Amino acid sequence: MLPQAPDSLMRRHKFTLGSLVIAAGLIYLFVAGVQQSTATHVTLQILMDGSLDQSNRIQLGGSTVVPGSIKWDPYRSRPEFAITDGERTLKVRYTGHAVLPDTFKDEALVVLEGKYHQNNHTFDADLIFAKCPSKYEGQDYNDHIKAMDARSG
Amino acid sequence: MVDIGYFALCLALLASGYAVWASALGAQRGHLGLIRSGENAVLATFALLTLAVLFLWQALLSHDFQVEYVAENSNRAMPVFYLVTALWGGQNGSLLFWGWILSLYSATVVGLYRQRYRELMPYVVATLAFTSFFFCIVHLFAADPFQRLPFTPEDGRGLNPILQHPVMAIHPPLLYLGMVGMVVPFAFAISALLTGKLDTTWLRAARRWMLIPWTFLGFGLLLGGKWAYVELGWGGYWAWDPVENASLMPWLVGTAFLHSIMIQERKGMLKVWNLALAILTYGLCIFGTFMTRSGIISSVHAFAQSKIGPFFGTFLVLTLIFSFGLLLLRLPMLKAENRLESFASRETAFLLNNWVLLGMLFAVFWGTVFPLVSEAVTGEQITVGAPFFNQVNIPIGLLLLLLTGAGPLFAWRRTSSESLRKNFIVPVSAGGLSLGVFFALGVRDPYALVSFGLCIFVVVALGAEFHSGAKTRMRTSREAYLVALWRLSTKSRRRYGGYMTHLALVFLFAGFTGKAFTEETEIVIEQGASHQVGEYRIVYQSLAFAENANYSTTAAALALHRDGQFLGTLLPERRYYPAFDQGTTEVSIYSTLREDFYVILVGSAENRSAKFQVYINPLINFVWLGAVLLVVGALWAMWPTSRDRRLAQVDRQTAMGLVATREHPHRA
Repeated sequence: MLPQAPDSLMRRHKFTLGSLVIAAGLIYLFVAGVQQSTATHVTLQILMDGSLDQSNRIQLGGSTVVPGSIKWDPYRSRPEFAITDGERTLKVRYTGHAVLPDTFKDEALVVLEGKYHQNNHTFDADLIFAKCPSKYEGQDYNDHIKAMDARSG
Repeated sequence: MVDIGYFALCLALLASGYAVWASALGAQRGHLGLIRSGENAVLATFALLTLAVLFLWQALLSHDFQVEYVAENSNRAMPVFYLVTALWGGQNGSLLFWGWILSLYSATVVGLYRQRYRELMPYVVATLAFTSFFFCIVHLFAADPFQRLPFTPEDGRGLNPILQHPVMAIHPPLLYLGMVGMVVPFAFAISALLTGKLDTTWLRAARRWMLIPWTFLGFGLLLGGKWAYVELGWGGYWAWDPVENASLMPWLVGTAFLHSIMIQERKGMLKVWNLALAILTYGLCIFGTFMTRSGIISSVHAFAQSKIGPFFGTFLVLTLIFSFGLLLLRLPMLKAENRLESFASRETAFLLNNWVLLGMLFAVFWGTVFPLVSEAVTGEQITVGAPFFNQVNIPIGLLLLLLTGAGPLFAWRRTSSESLRKNFIVPVSAGGLSLGVFFALGVRDPYALVSFGLCIFVVVALGAEFHSGAKTRMRTSREAYLVALWRLSTKSRRRYGGYMTHLALVFLFAGFTGKAFTEETEIVIEQGASHQVGEYRIVYQSLAFAENANYSTTAAALALHRDGQFLGTLLPERRYYPAFDQGTTEVSIYSTLREDFYVILVGSAENRSAKFQVYINPLINFVWLGAVLLVVGALWAMWPTSRDRRLAQVDRQTAMGLVATREHPHRA
């Protein structure tokens, strides 16, 4: 057994070394990735508070589209609209390229990504995720009944 | 009628609870009657849950809107087909469906293994039944699908129009069949740990029962991508959304498991690792359910916030503590029988494959929970987007692709440098040569170049495996080449089925790489005018409006030409569903193997001029082809061979002996 010992020892070192290299590579990829594509998730309240670092990309969540505020261009593509969290409202311009999700409409719960211009209180969003509050469930049932009445009446 | 459904759920709770008790006690006391009774209770649970599902279907089909779930997820305008699929269109129904699939898996295992795996089965049954028990608690106390409203509405709200698509009828069931099925290998792992029967017996059952849900899940994921591609109208198929990640994660670990068990079967190594992977796979399925249904992480298609979060959270934590605790207790029994002998061996390749897959898992996991973690640490919620996932996973994915081709070229134990040279020279030179060709064809993106080169390398390596196998067989059996090839791959199904899934991976990667060359344009044209997009020319012919009970629609007719040749008419639509006050985008695609011409009608103005968004997506169809091949390969690999049948026979005979001595101990 003795003559084999250094060999197997070396081999084991090689394996350890190999795993360390892989782990280091992973960590590098991870850190580099995080630095490149992060956004700070905030609510409307924090955003309009003004204390936020302006250089960061912002992900704005927890607001809904103000009913009737959506102003489409003639082809129904890049809208301007307002969002609200119940207390505050903010004007938003869509600057992205992708076609807006079908769920984007009045009262839809939206998550926006982009830049906030504090001087004129507008938000340029290049990404819009919209979750229709009724996507799966959760729409207030009374609202639905009201809507049904409105249609039949 | 609905009350009978609810009552069936109550009985299912009792039956599954009893099954846990009877199986565990029966196993401890070696009481065969109790064990059998526990198994029968599992069958009863299945029957009762089937009844519950049937009653919910009946309520949906008969428009029983007093049932809240029916009122919220269906309406009178919906075609019957979508009334059927509405069973899994909402939270509570989909959970019931989930629980039903669980009971289906449990009953199948019980039915198949009446005479096999007898030492393991009692605790397998107990584990499965316990999971059923948990789900019944959820059905009854947190997400009752039979909940009644205090009044009966005239009509229901309906299934969200986005979900009214044929793919959505199969995609969720496939995902559920995948996620739920991973409970079976977990149950075998737990049983092996509890009984201390830690040899490869549990692995044999676990392999098959991992392969089945793994196939469902993989196909389900890709089908979901297909749905997103044709239905959501953003030209892509994968967005690294938390919900997508939630189902990708168990699939990655399942893939690692399917590879690493081979090392244990061959060499008696990685025993702890394999048990841990089986536990982790299942844990991730529960974690995914918890994450997407508790509202803890905001996602575009997460379910609404609900009270099931704490239930799943608690269940997850308890399951993990119990399983890993048990694993720790058994550590002394899980010593490896061998050591890695050489770097250049199949074992090392498998080990690397496992690291790579777990590396991917790590990246996806942290990317998904990063907002939560960063908030806990810094107080600020930092989210990471798709660029993060791509940046991390592309290099790892390429490494995986390399291993897909290289792994099978190594021999078990050690590979001599001579055979290394012999096995690698052709694939490596083919891959290297192709790099030059792709470069000459204009591919400049480094990742895309490497990916294409690796694809060729893997295809040649796989081809060589089939070829040399057939050659060897021809020499010994004097068969014709094709006969030898066929017999070879039907005889060693596991190996060649595996190679087919490797080929599927190549297809997938070729398709993913095509993404690097996607072109996107936005055009506004008058009716009757034409426009050049790349090599294509579109003529906007007309705009039409139509209406039916379910929706109204605006459609544009576009004639598509290439090189002066008419290819077809594209009909992108925008629909509007009044019941939901929601529009949907119906894309139109001209599809070839080379690329898709994908067009969206963004909108039209008063004067009938219209805006279109066009994507040219090269190679995307390789993704869907890869999905099909993945299933073919997996089916090929799991089809029972004559060896499997022999083993089953042996198992049955041993079990009969065991049963005979237990039933008549005085005679023995």
